[in-house]
Amino acid sequence: MSGHLLHRQPILRTPDGIGGALPALILIALFFVVPVVALLLRSVTEPVPGLQNYAILFGDGTYARVFFNTFLVATVVTAVTVIVAFPVAWMLAIMPPALGSIVFGIIILSMWTNLLTRTYAWMVLLQRTGVINRTLMDIGLISEPLPLINNLTGVTIGMVYIMLPFMILPLVGTLRAIDPMTLRAAALCGASPFDAFRRILLPLSLPGIAAGGLMVFVMSLGYFVTPTLLGGTSNMMLAAMIAQMIQSLLNWGLGSAAAFILLLVTMALYALQLRLVGAKRMTGGI
Amino acid sequence: MTEPFLSIRDLRKAFGSFVAVHDVTIDIPRGEFLTFLGPSGSGKSTTLYAIAGFQQPTSGDVLLKGRSLLSVPSHKRNIGMVFQRYTLFQHLTVAENVAFPLRVRRRPDAEVKRKVAEMLSLVRLESFGGRYPGALSGGQQQRVALARALAYDPPILLMDEPLSALDKKLREEIQAEIRRIHRETGVTILYVTHDQDEALHLSDRIALFRDGRIEQIGSGEDLYLRPQSEFVASFIGNSNFLPAEHLETVNGAATIRLADGSVVSGVRNDREFRHGQKTRLMVRPEAFRMRPGPATAGLAVEFIDTAFFGERRRVIARTAAGQEIDVRPTSDMAQAQEGIAPRGQQIFFDPAAAFLFPA
Repeated sequence: MSGHLLHRQPILRTPDGIGGALPALILIALFFVVPVVALLLRSVTEPVPGLQNYAILFGDGTYARVFFNTFLVATVVTAVTVIVAFPVAWMLAIMPPALGSIVFGIIILSMWTNLLTRTYAWMVLLQRTGVINRTLMDIGLISEPLPLINNLTGVTIGMVYIMLPFMILPLVGTLRAIDPMTLRAAALCGASPFDAFRRILLPLSLPGIAAGGLMVFVMSLGYFVTPTLLGGTSNMMLAAMIAQMIQSLLNWGLGSAAAFILLLVTMALYALQLRLVGAKRMTGGI
Repeated sequence: MTEPFLSIRDLRKAFGSFVAVHDVTIDIPRGEFLTFLGPSGSGKSTTLYAIAGFQQPTSGDVLLKGRSLLSVPSHKRNIGMVFQRYTLFQHLTVAENVAFPLRVRRRPDAEVKRKVAEMLSLVRLESFGGRYPGALSGGQQQRVALARALAYDPPILLMDEPLSALDKKLREEIQAEIRRIHRETGVTILYVTHDQDEALHLSDRIALFRDGRIEQIGSGEDLYLRPQSEFVASFIGNSNFLPAEHLETVNGAATIRLADGSVVSGVRNDREFRHGQKTRLMVRPEAFRMRPGPATAGLAVEFIDTAFFGERRRVIARTAAGQEIDVRPTSDMAQAQEGIAPRGQQIFFDPAAAFLFPA
């Protein structure tokens, strides 16, 4: 009877099958790890060895403004995206699955539609003589066109629109795991809908907000197309600045240093999120 | 007559053309433990949800001390509830869960602290205050849920199958806890279950639901000893239904003829049956005796199988008409222990403890 227990083999972690992963690993090593190291080297060797590129980036007011602006846009876009995405994610989480998958499909489809096309569409909508301004003027709500483009407003609208799926998807996962009965229990305990949201639903959905928020924030930090097309010259972002340094000014050293700082910030944020959300998970709070 | 504490008046809930609750009316005195018992889909949970405010009834009213609750939103009804599923707030500790209803009521810290300690000791989880719900067993979670539901001294506690996710032993343990807490707090409890043992064990009164209506309401003894319908008789306790032909009823005592031709008189009956009408005679398995008594009727059976259950023995017997019946004699077990008896064995029952229902 116990014989077959003795025959049971321990699970052997043989290196079989790792060969299949090799092409992708080589690809990542060749086209990510090597360039990143090269970037780092360039930032401290061009035009002469030393940290002068970093000194310029941190010392010069113009560059500091670009950094500040980049973080401002990323912060505003992330905050607005969270606020706009939350109700949609909640709706998707409690919707009947059949209906939910249709809405889900539409959201995914918007992600798959060409980024440039969608950004140009926003240009058409947002410009001074665009559909939005003309409609508002026609119905007499405003007499002058609103400045919706070539500024922070335009960048925020365009980027929130593009980032929404990246916030909604992780958030739906977290919200689906919350039993709606929990909220009924909160209501009977005397919690008003606002109290139930603030004290129960919001804390329970924090892991999803953190995951989606990090994704949106990091993507926003390095975003190029939308801020370039919908933003003004006065609120240039880091990605555009790097492009300018390398393409127009051919200053590889400075461009590499800026890119490397972006990479470091991203990694620091990721580590921070792992610490905060990961630690919370360990103590039993979701 | 004094005004009832909680009153459910002609409550009706329809989902489209399907009527889940048919004009249910119940008056519940303060401090009562009332159980809504019934099969799933019988409308018992829907009635409870109408009291909780999760579902707006189609018509009818729910009155607490004479005031209608229907226009009051759930969070202002001041009702406690324990749910079937675990609904503790996973991101809060046990103590914070119990404190939650007091926090949203903006009670002072000192009172919250005192009340949380009192509630945790009521459910005997004093040392668990700092734990998270995820680290508790199902039974412990439901006890915390009970503490949370009672923390704000609600006049009514609703319990929606709170033990159905627990195993049998734990269920019995928590049933005893619930009885003790009911005794100690005096809270009015409305309890929903589909488990008749749980209902009999816990309740002052049981409302037996069937297809959105209350089939019978009364104490467990009432329902067991005086079932008003075959449904009640078969839902509460175990029962055998023997086809019988009604001959006559005189002064509430009926004379019938069973399928094997034997005639039994003295069956309690308050229904109007014609002579020769087909009826069903209900005899509880535990009403059978192995020896004749002063006024017993005999039934010729053949024992097919016996099984020993400790406190009683269960015998499967076959009547002369070929029907298998369930026999669980409580006394004179010696004979039953002899095992399978030869054809022609007689068992006995008291006709006054049997019931006659329409076929």
